Amino acid sequence: MATVSPAIESHSDDHSHGNDHGHGHQQSFFYTYLWSTDHKMIGKQFLITTMIMMMVGGALALAVRWQLAFPWQNMPVLGPVFKLFLGEGGQISPEFYTMLFTMHASVMIFLVIIPILAGAFGNFLIPLQIGADDMAFPVLNALSYWFMWPAIACFGTSFFVGGATAGPAGGWTSYPLLSALQEAAPGSGAAQTFWLMGLTLVGVSSMMGSVNYMTTIINMRAPGMTLFRMPLTIWSMFITAILQAFALPVLTAAGFMLLTDRIMGTCFFVPAGIVVNNAAPTIGGGQPLLWQHLFWFYSHPAVYIMLLPAMGMVSDMLSCMSRKPVFGYKPMVYSMAAIAGLGFIVWGHHMFTSGMNPALGMTFMTSTMMIALPSAIKTFNWIGTIWGGNVKFNSVMLNCSGFVAMFIVGGLSGIFMAAVPVDIYFHDTYFIVAHFHYVLFGSTLFGVFAGITFWFPKMFGRLMNDTVAKWHFALTFIGFNGTFFPMHLLGISGMPRRYADPYLHPYLEHLLPMNQFITCSAILMGFAQFLLLGNFLYSMYRGEKCGRNPWGANGLEWSAPSPPGHGNFDVPPVCYRGPYEYSSPEAGALNQDFILQTEVPPDMSKIATAETAATA
Amino acid sequence: MKKFWALFFFFWPAVAFWSCWIARSRGWWFPASEDNPLGLAMSPLGQQIDGLFYLILGIVAVVFVGTQFALGYALWMSATKEDSKPAHYSHGSHSLELIWTIVPAFVLVFIALYQMNVWAEFRVQSYFPNETKEDGPKLEVTARQFEWRMRYPAPGQVLSNQPQAGDLYAVNEMHVQTGRPVKFNLRTGDVQHAFFAPQLRVKQDAVAGLIIPVWLEVPKAGKYDLVCAELCGWGHYKMRATIVAEPKEKVEEYLRNLEQEQNFDGVAPAAAEE
Amino acid sequence: MLVQTQRQIATLLTAVVVTAMSGCGQSGFDSHFVSSDKTESLIKEAQNGVGDLPGVNELVSDRFGTPQQLNAWMKLPVDFGGVSGSVSAAPEASIAVEELSLKFDGEVIQVDSEPLLVQFVTGAAAPAVVEIKRWSAEKGVASLTAAMETLPAEGDTVILNGGSHLKTGRQLYMRHCSHCHGTSGDAAGPTAEYLNPRPRDYRHGVFKFTSTNAQSKAARDDIRRVLQNGVPGTYMPSFVPMLKDNELDIVVEYVRFLALRGEFERRLVSELAPDYSKDAMANRMASGETRSEVVNDLKEFLAEDLQDSIEGFMDGTNGLATVWTNANLPEATITPDAARVPNSAESRRIGRELYLSKAINCADCHGIGGKGNGPQTTIFEKNVVTETLYPEPGLHDVWDNVNQPRNLTLGIYRGGRRPIDLFCRIQAGIKGTRMPSFKNLKHEDIWHIVNYVLSIPFEPEPGKGPTPAPAAATTP
Repeated sequence: MATVSPAIESHSDDHSHGNDHGHGHQQSFFYTYLWSTDHKMIGKQFLITTMIMMMVGGALALAVRWQLAFPWQNMPVLGPVFKLFLGEGGQISPEFYTMLFTMHASVMIFLVIIPILAGAFGNFLIPLQIGADDMAFPVLNALSYWFMWPAIACFGTSFFVGGATAGPAGGWTSYPLLSALQEAAPGSGAAQTFWLMGLTLVGVSSMMGSVNYMTTIINMRAPGMTLFRMPLTIWSMFITAILQAFALPVLTAAGFMLLTDRIMGTCFFVPAGIVVNNAAPTIGGGQPLLWQHLFWFYSHPAVYIMLLPAMGMVSDMLSCMSRKPVFGYKPMVYSMAAIAGLGFIVWGHHMFTSGMNPALGMTFMTSTMMIALPSAIKTFNWIGTIWGGNVKFNSVMLNCSGFVAMFIVGGLSGIFMAAVPVDIYFHDTYFIVAHFHYVLFGSTLFGVFAGITFWFPKMFGRLMNDTVAKWHFALTFIGFNGTFFPMHLLGISGMPRRYADPYLHPYLEHLLPMNQFITCSAILMGFAQFLLLGNFLYSMYRGEKCGRNPWGANGLEWSAPSPPGHGNFDVPPVCYRGPYEYSSPEAGALNQDFILQTEVPPDMSKIATAETAATA
Repeated sequence: MKKFWALFFFFWPAVAFWSCWIARSRGWWFPASEDNPLGLAMSPLGQQIDGLFYLILGIVAVVFVGTQFALGYALWMSATKEDSKPAHYSHGSHSLELIWTIVPAFVLVFIALYQMNVWAEFRVQSYFPNETKEDGPKLEVTARQFEWRMRYPAPGQVLSNQPQAGDLYAVNEMHVQTGRPVKFNLRTGDVQHAFFAPQLRVKQDAVAGLIIPVWLEVPKAGKYDLVCAELCGWGHYKMRATIVAEPKEKVEEYLRNLEQEQNFDGVAPAAAEE
Repeated sequence: MLVQTQRQIATLLTAVVVTAMSGCGQSGFDSHFVSSDKTESLIKEAQNGVGDLPGVNELVSDRFGTPQQLNAWMKLPVDFGGVSGSVSAAPEASIAVEELSLKFDGEVIQVDSEPLLVQFVTGAAAPAVVEIKRWSAEKGVASLTAAMETLPAEGDTVILNGGSHLKTGRQLYMRHCSHCHGTSGDAAGPTAEYLNPRPRDYRHGVFKFTSTNAQSKAARDDIRRVLQNGVPGTYMPSFVPMLKDNELDIVVEYVRFLALRGEFERRLVSELAPDYSKDAMANRMASGETRSEVVNDLKEFLAEDLQDSIEGFMDGTNGLATVWTNANLPEATITPDAARVPNSAESRRIGRELYLSKAINCADCHGIGGKGNGPQTTIFEKNVVTETLYPEPGLHDVWDNVNQPRNLTLGIYRGGRRPIDLFCRIQAGIKGTRMPSFKNLKHEDIWHIVNYVLSIPFEPEPGKGPTPAPAAATTP
């Protein structure tokens, strides 16, 4: 039996304190919905904000797709609504296109995927799943949400501050010198500065979150909630928080360095004597590759920050919907830890063709190949979890299966790029675009869709409509694969990324019909998200009401009321077993196929077996 | 409906597999042309890269089909069994975990080690073909927003990193000799660019402040594309140029013409002396 | 099978999406030609016309059309493309003519969707345009969609699908050029404001880097050379191999068309500006005239004097047609008397002396060391037209942009690096800028200067040895 936290006394103090609040006084609108320090409200705030941002990012993506399918043709909405490019008859300018994909990536990565996983689900689930009444630092938690808004404001300002048609256009990677020299591009002026400030603010927000998550998970687990009884969601949040805490400072520092390069002329990244747009030659002394190293030192782990929580959540949901324990709980934990550890030494695979020392290419190739291993183990374990289960074919399960299927594609296509010689060809082609969308959208977002449906009842006390959710899944899945699978082929055909008009090149001309097909699929996928939004909003008020545990799940959160009140639990929960004891003999003794972690063991003689199983 | 969803997860990988299968015949494969309908790599190094690509593709295809089938089959089993039958209670299998750790590990290490040589030959200067060491760099390619500027040494001279009085200049057209590895210096005049010759499978970033030696070998005379593969500003997509591979004599003739054209003083027609 | 189905689905989807999206997107907004600032300085009536009398805008658009409907105004010295031909037999006068016998110099290709249009260039029927319903190649007979009112005579010249170059030219221009140079060639495309130097505004009819003498316009080859080689040191890139050979020609014609359009508009305005600009109006009203009196004056002017002037704009020795045509003649091209003086140390020394001499005084602008930092670069210049000081110091060009003299130490030559290019820059000056024409200089002396200038990047002062090279890193 693992150690029970020695702080158990103070915990119970916390609970009574929390309960006092819960029953004590009604909070005003401002304290309930805006400056709330309740982790559940903050989680919901994050969720709704990120869903809105997802639509913004999606609109930007559709604009990108429009240009690729119908190059230089009148772009819808832009002219009539925003009064842009009227003199050109709605034909966008190339720098506007570069802005579109830059901001699509920035919004999706920094304002959707990172905050929806850590911010929304992390906040909502961590205290509930470990049996705490709130986060360790509630005010810090609220601040972490409210730092998102200045970030959004900065990103928003960057759209027009340098001119209505010249938003930040350095790509989300913002490689210097394009991003370091104000004159290098229309979007490299004030727009880039605001973009960098937005990035820094997102970093501050994430950092506050990750400190909080680590502290909460280490210190505030309920009695009996040993480390290896934690749901994989919590493990993934914990590992993510560690990753974030160690990687993020590097990006923040790099961001400040780039800012000072731009504003104070420091030249960390700027070599001497470069003349861009006939501006004065640069003073120099810096190295553009330094930025790439620093940026990817954060941004490669960031890929796992954008993926691990979804992996954890999907493990939870797959197990629940298959009515079967997770296959290989400990290998799952270890492989997540391995991904996180290796994640720190693979950043160089983004830089194979960058001109860094070629010997580094070989080491980074080896480490990158190795990181495929834990991912493979996880995939096999997920399939093992479904295998022989009693699968409930609802939208949660479908989205989770979609996650697994898409993750396989994303993982396998990564092997091509991990191999340096093959990457010589594939680097910066659409193959890469296909790959990371399979990982970030295909995997993470399907996991998120599942998570939204799964924990919606806990958030609002009502169920989402399953039929609509299934339609949403099917349309998104078809649209997604129609959009991104052919991009592998575009990549093999050698179509480079970030081209406003690839068809200027004869060897790409014949790809126009395929790009049009992709755009149609993307439009289908984009509009399918209205089903999710509609279902979400409708179900918030009109959905079928549900009890505490509509899915028959095991986690501590399902023993709390739906939605949980202030302080979360009626009584401080005590955890008796691991989170995945579905269809266990113990559950069978209760005539059900699940057994809550808080359920007092029904029959003393069976405890021994259950525990060995849980800790095995 | 359960079976439908299980089939759904069988169906899409089948479509995906099929679309890759037909891709080559539909032209959705490596850049092809009339002379090269199969889209083969036009350089020896590129052929090695393609070989590695097909090796990985083979391994990946097997894994893809295997895992997607397993996923679909796991769902199908569940979809076809009676609801009342309880799920199989298991926490996993130690031996299975071992197998699916060790086998992929071997495969991945094999892939990694198998690639090293090609990479070394492409990028590590001590492994460059001997010819490039003997010849030295033949020209300097400078990427700038948004074109490729070439600088050749005056005939009979050696390329220097600093422009020399007799240097010959050209834009968007790079002439290289066929059948012999040709080394050139890659640099940028402003921001970062990348030298990408899709048919030759060569890609190398041009980084401000660095002069990067690159080599390529084209056995067959012809024209090949040269494009930019690193975002360099609004005109990124405009950076189109041609690599002209031709026999040594033709390259020399081209350089002579270039010299004549560059020294044209408006009096003697450039063609007259030929 | 499946492939076809997939394709059909894709096409269907595309069609649906495109109609749906363009339906809400396209509502009546097309690219358009904008009128120049100068036109806008005129009073409203002069811009837009009074009563039936057309103003500047209409006078221009009547002749040049809109981007969607470009006019091939035959007076313009522009190659509009198309197949030329003539009437092979005059139709009988008695009946309404619905069939015409024609012969063409080239092949007639009829595409289903595109109507064949025949324009009469000479004869009584000119400038009528008729549409051919059916073309029978064997008989050489065209059936027309509508009967003709004025009858052509045998031998009248016609052009089939004239203006095809304009159409293609515009498509190419919009794809490759317009985002900097603007739809109207006014250098006001969305990207233009971020570029240094600013892109060329064609509407002055002035191009900087030409091989023609100081008074001449740019020849076709000059524009073509810029498209081929780009302008080094600026954002004007080389468009080869992006544009094919014939496409280059077409873009050149389209650019000339835009330049002529701009110049035509400027000339119209210059006729009207003295009496009918907003300023003139204010002055005249201050001196006691009423607004309606001025407008009546304008009416008279538009109806009579201006009509005569328009004729003169195109033809005549200074007419646009003449000058733009003549620029392509051999007489207009600069040809040095003698071949380049051998590039010897002595020649470069003489060149350096000339460069510094009081009479030529290159150093006044380009600086003693050739760095483009002579004393002239710091003065505040007066705008020649408005007579006001420019807000920034430095030399300005006719486009009112600061246009500092070239730094000759960089080895970047915007107009080309051939000796003849530099010769032309000195002999004819750089048009539209403060680089004057030294046309009275002996050609031999020019060659000495060229030799010196070409050596500056390597040896700023002849005989003093090369400049030290800045180090650049090499990768392993």
